[in-house]
Amino acid sequence: MSVNGIVSNISRCSLHDGSGIRTVIYFKGCNLKCKWCHNPETHSFSPDIMYNPNLCICCGNCISVCSKCHSAGETSAVFTRDLCNKCMRCADVCPTRALSVCGDEMTSREVFDIILNDSHYYAESGGGITLSGGECLLQVDFAVDILKLCSQRGINTAIESAMCVPWENISAVIPYTDCFFADIKHHDSSIHRNYTGVGNELILDNIYKLSLVHNCITLRIPLIPGINDSNEDMKKFGEIINGLGKGIGCVELLKYNYLAGSKYESLDKEYISYSDYTQTNEHLLELKEAMQNSVKIKVVCEI
Amino acid sequence: MYKLSDRCSALRDEAVSKRKYMKKYCAQRNVYFSLGGALAAQNEQGIYSVVSSAVSNVLNKFTPVIIPGEIITGFNFGDGKFDDFYIPQNTPEDIEIMKENNISNDDIEKFFSIDKFYRDELFLYGYNLGDESTAGLTECEIQASEEWSALGRVISSNHTVLGYEQVVKLGFEGILNKIIEFKKKNGNNDLYSGAEQICLEALKMGEKYADLAQKLLDSQDENYDANDLKSIIEVCSNVPRYPARSFKEAVQSLWFAHVINTWEDIINANSIGRLDQILYPYYRHDIEKGIITKEEAFEIICCLWIKLYRDYDVQQSCVGGDNVDGECCVNDLSYMMLDATEALDFIRCMSVRFSKNTPKEFIKRALEVVGHVQKGVPFFFNDDVMIPALINAGIAPDDACNYTQIGCVETVIPGKSNPHAVTGETNFLKAIEYVLCRGKSMRHPDYSPGKDTGDLDNLDSFESFLNAVKVQIDNIMDLTCSQVKKLFERCISPKPYKSILTEGCLESGRDFNCKGALYDYYQIMIGGVPNLADSLCVINKFVYKQKKYSLSQLKSILESDFPDERIRMEFINKSEKFGNNSEEPDSLAREIIDYACDRLEELSKKYGMNFHAQPFTYLWMIDHGHHSAASPDGRKCGDPIAYSVSPMQGRDFNGLTAIMNSISSLPTKRTPGTTSAIVEVDPKLFCDKNIDALTDILVASGKKGLSNVQFNTVDAEMLIDAQKYPEKYNNLAVRVSGFSQRFNLLNKELQNHIIGRTKHSCL
Repeated sequence: MSVNGIVSNISRCSLHDGSGIRTVIYFKGCNLKCKWCHNPETHSFSPDIMYNPNLCICCGNCISVCSKCHSAGETSAVFTRDLCNKCMRCADVCPTRALSVCGDEMTSREVFDIILNDSHYYAESGGGITLSGGECLLQVDFAVDILKLCSQRGINTAIESAMCVPWENISAVIPYTDCFFADIKHHDSSIHRNYTGVGNELILDNIYKLSLVHNCITLRIPLIPGINDSNEDMKKFGEIINGLGKGIGCVELLKYNYLAGSKYESLDKEYISYSDYTQTNEHLLELKEAMQNSVKIKVVCEI
Repeated sequence: MYKLSDRCSALRDEAVSKRKYMKKYCAQRNVYFSLGGALAAQNEQGIYSVVSSAVSNVLNKFTPVIIPGEIITGFNFGDGKFDDFYIPQNTPEDIEIMKENNISNDDIEKFFSIDKFYRDELFLYGYNLGDESTAGLTECEIQASEEWSALGRVISSNHTVLGYEQVVKLGFEGILNKIIEFKKKNGNNDLYSGAEQICLEALKMGEKYADLAQKLLDSQDENYDANDLKSIIEVCSNVPRYPARSFKEAVQSLWFAHVINTWEDIINANSIGRLDQILYPYYRHDIEKGIITKEEAFEIICCLWIKLYRDYDVQQSCVGGDNVDGECCVNDLSYMMLDATEALDFIRCMSVRFSKNTPKEFIKRALEVVGHVQKGVPFFFNDDVMIPALINAGIAPDDACNYTQIGCVETVIPGKSNPHAVTGETNFLKAIEYVLCRGKSMRHPDYSPGKDTGDLDNLDSFESFLNAVKVQIDNIMDLTCSQVKKLFERCISPKPYKSILTEGCLESGRDFNCKGALYDYYQIMIGGVPNLADSLCVINKFVYKQKKYSLSQLKSILESDFPDERIRMEFINKSEKFGNNSEEPDSLAREIIDYACDRLEELSKKYGMNFHAQPFTYLWMIDHGHHSAASPDGRKCGDPIAYSVSPMQGRDFNGLTAIMNSISSLPTKRTPGTTSAIVEVDPKLFCDKNIDALTDILVASGKKGLSNVQFNTVDAEMLIDAQKYPEKYNNLAVRVSGFSQRFNLLNKELQNHIIGRTKHSCL
C-alpha cells in the first residue's frame, strides 16, 4: 500500500542534511510563515505555478491555452497570478520551462524509487535520506511510509522539521528515524510569533519530549541578521538548550541565506531581505564561541 | 606532502617561462632525421633502413645541452616555432634558428637540397606511404570521411607506451645482446639491422652528456654547480648503456629511453606508463640502503616532471592500480608523484588507476590534487572495469592488469602492444540524418554515404525507426573499419625503435607497425552517442507516442535548422536527456554502444583485425558538430556534439550522482578502449569538508561500472571572465577532452563548449 503526498523537490547528492551523501525530499506545505524563509515554494500544500520571465521566448503558447491570466509583454509574457485557477495547462505547453509547476503529487513508492537510484552512494558514504520541507511532519503518513521503506533497506533516515506539529506526528516517525534536525528560530515566543506567525511553546515542548526519547538530535538555529544573531541571543538560546534532555547531540548555527530572492519573484511573493549587514566570518565565529560558552554540547557553525 | 626544492622551483620557472635553454637545439631532430633518412635513400637502402638511419643520425649528431641546476638531463626536441609538427623552411628566420641550434652550414644546405619528401613527411611520421590520401577508397568511404561520420586515420604513430623498463633494467648493451640473439635465431632482416644500428647509437647517449658535464666541470663555468655536474657524470657514464644501479639512474635511463622514442616520430602522445611501478624497486633499494632520502627522491621526480613539461602535454604517466591477484600496488612513489604534480602546479598529464581495493586515502589524495591544482589532473580509470574489458578483448590477465594510458584515454599494454590509437572515428548522430534522408547526408546533400533505409512512411513504429538507425550504425562502423584496413595496408611506417621496446617484434622479426606487437589492435572511436540517445527519445515521444510531428515534418524542421524556436525548446525541455539517470535515454545509449560492440566483433572477423571499441571523441566533438545537421535533441546545425559519453553540454540537471549513474550504466566492460567522460564539478566539492563524499562518489560509481572520469573544476563565471580578460588568466587550465590545456590557448568555439557544460555542485 502506497501513500500519497506532495513534494516540491527532490535533491540528490546533498551533503548538508546529515551524514554522507543524501537524497533530500522537500515536502510541500508548511504551517509556519517565517519571513526569511528561503524555500517559499514549499509554503502552500498544493502545486504552484512558478514563472521565470528570463526564460520566456514570447512564443505565446501560454496565451493560446489561457488568455485569462497570460498576456503578451514587451520582452516576456505577463502572468497575472490573481486570475490563475491553477489549471496548469500553461506549464504544460511552455517549451522553455519559464512556466513550471512546483509540487508533484507522488506516492511513497515513487519517492522510494528515486531514493534507490543512489543507494550505492549511501552505502559507500554512510549517507541516506532526509525528509525536509516545508514541514514534512504535516504529511505524516506519507513520511512514515517513506521512512519505513528506507529503514527496511538499511538506508539511514533523517528528518528536518520545525517541530510545530502535534506530538503524535513526531512519535509516529520516531521508530523509523535515525536522526532529527530540529529548528529553533527564536528563544523569545513573542518575537517568534512576530516573525513566523506562531509562538515557540509547542515547538520547545516537542523538542523537549523528543530529547528524552531519541538520542540523535541536532538543533538548528538559522541566524537572521538583526533578529537572533547577537551574543545575547546565543546566551538565551543556550539557556533553553541546557534545559533539554540527553538526546541533543549538537547545535548547528546556520548562516543567513542571501540567495532566496529569485524564488520569491517567480512566485510573485514579496521578499523581505534581512541582510541589513553581511554576517562576516568573524561575527559567525564570535557567535559560535558565545554559544559554546553557554552549552555543554558541541556547537557547529559552517562558514 | 613534500615541498618544491629551490632547484626545482628554478627549473620549473625556466621550463614554463620558455626558456633560454629549451629554445636551444629544438630544430635538431627535424634536420638530422631528414638528413639521415635521405642519405640512406640515396644509397638505395630500403624503407626500413631509411627510418633506422634517420633515428640513428639524430642520436649520432645531436648536440647535448645541460641546463644549470638540473640533475636529470637530456631534452626532447621540439619547441616554440619549431614544435613537433613544424617543417623548417628555407627562410632567413628559420635558417637563423637552425644556426643558433648548432647545426652546421653544411647540414643546413644539405637539408634544403634533399627531396621535399624527406623534409616534410618523413620527419613528421616516419615513413608513411600513401598516408591519408583517398586512393583506393570507395565513393561512400570518401564522402563519409569528408563529413566525419566514418573516418580512418593513420596518426596512430606517436601514440605509444614502450617497454622503457627494459632499458632501465638491461641497458642498451643488454638490449643489443637480445637483438643479436634473435638475429642469430631467426636470421638477419631489416628489422634486426635497424634495431642494432639504433641501439649502437643509443648506447652512447649518456656518454655525450657525461662528456659535456666533464667539460663544464673542467671549465669551471660559474652557472653550474660542481656537484650537479659530478652527479650527471656518474649517472650518464652508466646509463642508458648499462642497467641502472640507483633510483636516480633509473629515472635518467627512462628519460633517455623516452626521448629517443619522441625522436622517432615526434613527441605528441608518446607516453610513459606506470612510473610508480617501474621505479619502485630502485626507490626501495635506495631508501633501504640509505642511498637517498625521501626528499631527494621527491626532487628527482619533480625533475622528471619538469622535463616532461609542455604547453600541450599528452605524455601521460599513470600511478596506482591492482596486480593480477587483485592486490593494490599503490606505493610511496604513487603518493610522491601526486605530490609532485601538486607542488609544480602546471599541467602534468597524469592518471590514477583505482579499484574497490584501493585505499580511499589514496583516491582522496588524488582528488585533492585535482582540487588544488585545478587543471583537471589527475584523471581516473577504474581497474574493476578496465581489466575485465581488456581480458574480454583477448589480453592475458597478467598483461591486462598492467594496462596504462596513452595521451588522453587510449588504453595500452605497455611494451607489449600497438594500440593504433585514434585510428577509426565515427559519429553516430549522423545515423539520424541518413535515416531521414534515405542514405543521404542532410548537412551535405550531395553526399550519400548512408544506406537507404526506406520510405519514411514505412517506419511506422519506434522499433522500426531504431532498427533503421542500427542499419546506419552498422554501415558507419563498416565504412570506418574498411577504411582503417585499407589505410594500414597501404601505409608502410616502420618504427624500428618502437619495435625494439615492444614485445613480439624482436621475437617475430616483424615491425611494430607490421603486426609485430604481441597485442595488435585498432581503437575505433564511437562519438555522438549522447546526442543520438537524446534524439531517439524526442522522436519516440513526439513522432510515435504523441504523433505531434510526422517524420517528414521532423525532417523539414531539421533541414531548416529549427525555424520555430518553440519546437527546439520543446525538444530540449520536454523530453528525457542522457546524463540524468533517466531510464529511456540511458538504456538507449546502452543499447547503441552494445550494438556497436557486437558489430565490432563481427567486423574484427571480417577484416582480420582486432577492433576495440572506444566511446571517445577527443576534441573532435567540435568538428563532428560542424559536419552534423540540426538534430532532434535540439542541437542547432553545426553546433558541437557532446564530448565522448558526457551528457550533451547543459542538458544534465539531476546532480552529480545522477550523471555518474548514467555514465556508469553503459556497457563499459565491452569497451577496452575506455568509455570516457568529463564531469564538471564545483570546486567547493574538493574542499576538505566535502572531499570524503567526493571520494565515496567515485568509489561507488566505480563499483557500478564507471570506466573513466575526468573532472573539471573551474566555474563557468571565471571562464567567461577569462574570455574577456585573457591576460588575467594565464595559468588557468581546463579539461578539454582527454587532456588539459591552458584556457587561453583554446579557440573561442572550444571555450564556449566548455563553458556550456553543466557545473555540478552538492546542495
